[in-house]
Amino acid sequence: MIVEGIYPLPGTPAVIWDLLMDPEVLAKAMPGTKELVRAAPDRYEGVMRVGIGPITAAEFALTITLLELQPPLSYSMQIEGAGRFGFTRGTAKVELAPNGAGTVMHYSADLQVGGKIAAVGQRLLDSVSKLLTRQGLEALNRELTARLGGEPA
Amino acid sequence: MKTSRYFGASVPRLEDARLLTGRALFVDDVQLPAMLHAAFLRSDEAHARLNGIDVAAARKRPGVIAVFTAHDLGDYWKPGPLLVPPPPIEGLVFNTATQVPLARDKIRHAGEPLALVIAESRYLAEDALEDIAVDLVPLPAVTDLEAALAEGSALVHEQFGSNLAAHVHQSTGDYAAARATAHLVLARRFHYDRGAAAALENRGVVAQWDPRAEELTVWDTTQAPIPIRNGLAAMLGLRESQVRVIAPFIGGGFGPKIMMYYPEEVLLPWAAMRLGRPVKWIEDRRENFYATTQERAQIHDAELAVTKDGSILGVRDRFLHDTGAYDPYGLTVPINSQCTLLGPYVVPSYDSEFTAVFTNKPIVTPVRGAGRQHGVFVMERLLDFAARELGIDRVEIRRRNYIQPEAFPYDHRILFQDFRPLVYDSGNYPAALAKAAELIGYESFVREKQPRLRREGKHTGLGIVSYIEGTGIGPYEGARVTVEPSGSVRVATGVGTQGQGHFTTFAQIVAEVLGVELEQVQVSTGDTREFGWGTGTFASRGAVVAGSACYAAALKVREKILSLGAALLGVSAGELVVTEGSVRVREVPDRGISLGELARKANPLRGAVTPGTEPGLEATAYFGPDRGNAASGVHAMLVEVDPETAAVVIKRYVVVHDCGTVINPMVVEAQVQGGVAHGIGNAFYEQLIFDANGQLLNASFMDYLLPTALDVPTVELAHIETPSPLNPLGTKGVGEAGAIPTGAAFAQAVEDALADTGIEISEIPLSPNRLFELLAAARGAA
Amino acid sequence: MKPASFEYHRPSSLDEALALLAEHEEAKPLAGGQSLIPAMNFRLAAPGALVDLNELPELGGVVSSADGGLRLGAMTRHSVLERSTEVAARAPLLHETMPFIAHPQIRNRGTLGGSLAHADPAAELPAVMLVLGASFVLRSARGERRLPAEQFFTGLFSTALEPGELLIGVELPASPPRSGWAFEEMARRYGDFALVGVAAQLSLDARGQVSRARIGLLSVGEGPVLAAKAMALLEGQQPAEAALRAAAELAATRDIDPPADIHASADYRRQLTRVLTGRALKRAAKVALQ
Repeated sequence: MIVEGIYPLPGTPAVIWDLLMDPEVLAKAMPGTKELVRAAPDRYEGVMRVGIGPITAAEFALTITLLELQPPLSYSMQIEGAGRFGFTRGTAKVELAPNGAGTVMHYSADLQVGGKIAAVGQRLLDSVSKLLTRQGLEALNRELTARLGGEPA
Repeated sequence: MKTSRYFGASVPRLEDARLLTGRALFVDDVQLPAMLHAAFLRSDEAHARLNGIDVAAARKRPGVIAVFTAHDLGDYWKPGPLLVPPPPIEGLVFNTATQVPLARDKIRHAGEPLALVIAESRYLAEDALEDIAVDLVPLPAVTDLEAALAEGSALVHEQFGSNLAAHVHQSTGDYAAARATAHLVLARRFHYDRGAAAALENRGVVAQWDPRAEELTVWDTTQAPIPIRNGLAAMLGLRESQVRVIAPFIGGGFGPKIMMYYPEEVLLPWAAMRLGRPVKWIEDRRENFYATTQERAQIHDAELAVTKDGSILGVRDRFLHDTGAYDPYGLTVPINSQCTLLGPYVVPSYDSEFTAVFTNKPIVTPVRGAGRQHGVFVMERLLDFAARELGIDRVEIRRRNYIQPEAFPYDHRILFQDFRPLVYDSGNYPAALAKAAELIGYESFVREKQPRLRREGKHTGLGIVSYIEGTGIGPYEGARVTVEPSGSVRVATGVGTQGQGHFTTFAQIVAEVLGVELEQVQVSTGDTREFGWGTGTFASRGAVVAGSACYAAALKVREKILSLGAALLGVSAGELVVTEGSVRVREVPDRGISLGELARKANPLRGAVTPGTEPGLEATAYFGPDRGNAASGVHAMLVEVDPETAAVVIKRYVVVHDCGTVINPMVVEAQVQGGVAHGIGNAFYEQLIFDANGQLLNASFMDYLLPTALDVPTVELAHIETPSPLNPLGTKGVGEAGAIPTGAAFAQAVEDALADTGIEISEIPLSPNRLFELLAAARGAA
Repeated sequence: MKPASFEYHRPSSLDEALALLAEHEEAKPLAGGQSLIPAMNFRLAAPGALVDLNELPELGGVVSSADGGLRLGAMTRHSVLERSTEVAARAPLLHETMPFIAHPQIRNRGTLGGSLAHADPAAELPAVMLVLGASFVLRSARGERRLPAEQFFTGLFSTALEPGELLIGVELPASPPRSGWAFEEMARRYGDFALVGVAAQLSLDARGQVSRARIGLLSVGEGPVLAAKAMALLEGQQPAEAALRAAAELAATRDIDPPADIHASADYRRQLTRVLTGRALKRAAKVALQ
């Protein structure tokens, strides 16, 4: 499954970079994240609970490894999640480009989905991934706006 | 055998009353005291190194009796046997890798079983599955047939050094020379994707060990109870006579239930013996999409060489066959494809080569049609394209190439799946084609109706194709016929039944020979205690092989009736007739003895026995044909396509079928109707969709689209009867016929409806989404 | 495919049901069970408790209201709606849509409220409710409120229902005079989830111009979608072929961001939206002009 898009964000790439490296912010950008800790300088571990409509939220153990860090312009992530409903794993790339006073974020992920969600959830996977991506980006945007607004100019 | 009272009559099925009122026993109806329930943990991954499985938490869950992994099986852990060895074809390469009861070091397809949980209920067993932790390392999955053979591909079975499961080359004539002299050589690539058998009843096993009788009883949804009994006895260290396998009523087989020694089939009896309690496992629908074998994926690169007038000079075919993660069923499916491609046609030169490929997908074994539809699809499509290129009518090009009615036996000079030369026994293909064309109204449709509808904005199309179905193969079946003192007749055979009507057709044969009422004949099939010799129900062979055995046994009993009757009535056997449940003197009809009375007399009391007396009106006989026979037919269908939405509606479906002598036309019609439904599913609705990681993306009936009664038209059926000389009944098989040419007919019909777009259909199944893509591409190219 | 264990409650009054839902945070209401039970058998849903609504007579029934509209109880079975003469007379679009919902067996069990509260993006009834301008009646132990359909559906399988709150019925306003309607759907098999579906209603003013256009699309987004741009284009225009075609084009290209799945690509869904919207508008206009 490919998830891809661009999203404008307030603030310079450097500001956004710092936020993206903050597990607290990252957790907000991933809907359903219950906990996320930095287990190593380049690795986050946590638990996600994702439930949509009739689907009772199920926990996924999540590991994110950061790769190819090029601060403040790009990095990649290796994502692995597994739980009762199956698994997901793959890579994602985030690129930040200055855009006037703000930044344009280009994100792309190639995710493999397996197990029960892949087998019986086909009809909804595309919509769910779109929904989660949008919710995550909106959350990130809110967080950024809040932080930038809170900062002394 | 001549048609008379029962033989050849559409008598209602004797088993239907039991089936329709819920009195037939299916495996899930078996309820035993203290019975436990099994559930399997199945892999989410398609390909992975297995490091370990932690079942400690599952074992502690209340209600859980036992949890087994591969390591708990000890010496019982063994790959299954190779069920069908490859035929003796020169230069053949075959790498055997058969399924294992539980994955031990490696996982080779999604759904492969990893652990067995046995609990007081299925609910609790499934709860416990969620307690199990699996430690594995994912590996790149092998899914694409061409990439699988490329250098550097991940390997499903490391020991072979590649993913090649088999390579077979068969040829006849000189294709290179044919090609050189041809007016036209057409080359195309064809895809035919995977499908599921999707029987109404999934698989199931109940196993019970009786320590007092020292007997194991297994109720199993198998199509082959006798081989299962023999195999289980050997695996469990029991005598064959200690094992009884019962294949009761079964809700559809369609092939995957002839696959033997499935993990569940091997593990349940073992667990029941070990735990001292009966254990039941009923496959659920989601499991069925992984745990039951599947069929179809092949890619053909085929070439047809023809003269200017459309006469076939030769065919060359190179194809890849997806055998899945293991190949326990040998080469039956791809060899069927290879042989069936030749169809009813004279093909002077044929050069066919295939490579079977291991992939990280569920196992491939025969499913109704068993690879025959792939061959038919390739040949029929090539003929359609040639007809178009040469400006010859599609019915005419077929007629020009048919093997003629006087040319039988006709030898194609290659080897069939039964290890015998591919020699057709009988047939009349031009007659079948003419009849089908007449029934569908071919001439008036093409000349008048289709152009008129096109002017009205309707896109209608017609498909008309031929096929051969090799049926009724050996090795043999047997039957025992007994006249009981009650006057009723008992027939026991071993094949097992999955809804085909065996209780009726076998009874018709025996009733006819013994001159009794049909209702007096009770058939028992699929219980090894009743009859212990035979192979099973597959390859459209039940009526041909077991039917002939019933016939032979009934004839022997008839001889006994005549000889005992002659002795008791004081006349010669030649003066007697066997009729209306009695034996009578032909010239003096009121002088006779009922068969029940005769059966009592045949059980002699003290003083009445002379040396050599054999008691009872009972006989056992066997039948093994020299080779399989060639059923054949023509399918024709009308479709209407909406080019804006890519919706396709099948308006009419005509089948002209030749299964030799027909025992019960109604049973044959039902088989053909069901087969066509299966074929329509394959052509238009059903496709097992795997992603590049070996994940099945439609493992439920929400997304795997079986056609329903609303989506399948009523088949208009006509018969051609060319009796087979290979068995006394003259019959040929019919079980798979309906499903075989449907894809080819569908492709031709849809293409015909959209002739103005210029699209060419060379793949099956064809969803509306795919048709939309083809139409969009054609518009883009135009 | 056996569900995880759960508590089962079968209240005999609405108040008791609401009290149970308020008490059990993990509880799910059970209406017809045609979506919930399969999800539970797959263990995708594992509610701690079910509150069965099948013995609440106050939630059933089709009642004609004085203003020419209808009040439909949440537990009204699909088959009852399908056969109701009041529905046929007062909400002909709903009447025309009913046979497209799954199969008779499912329609015998499935309920209006269950389908609406489930909010499956491929379901027919949510889109029809948007087109008809239905008002949703919601009740909890705390009281009752009404929401227009547009506010009830909030996204993928999501509604405005609060925890402990039940959809108890919907109210349909009277159809404007000179209205025409049509429902079009493409599904793989009879009764399947729609690849795309379109519910349309056009109302004309005295001059024969479109005074109100409602186009509801299903299976092209996270929930039912009102084709707002297409609707705006039509209002104030004569329902002529070119205008209807332009509206259909707008619906397909500007009003939706359709998902892709194994049955239909996003492109194919756009094409189906284009074709089916065009056909639905054409039929609706024809009926309105009669």
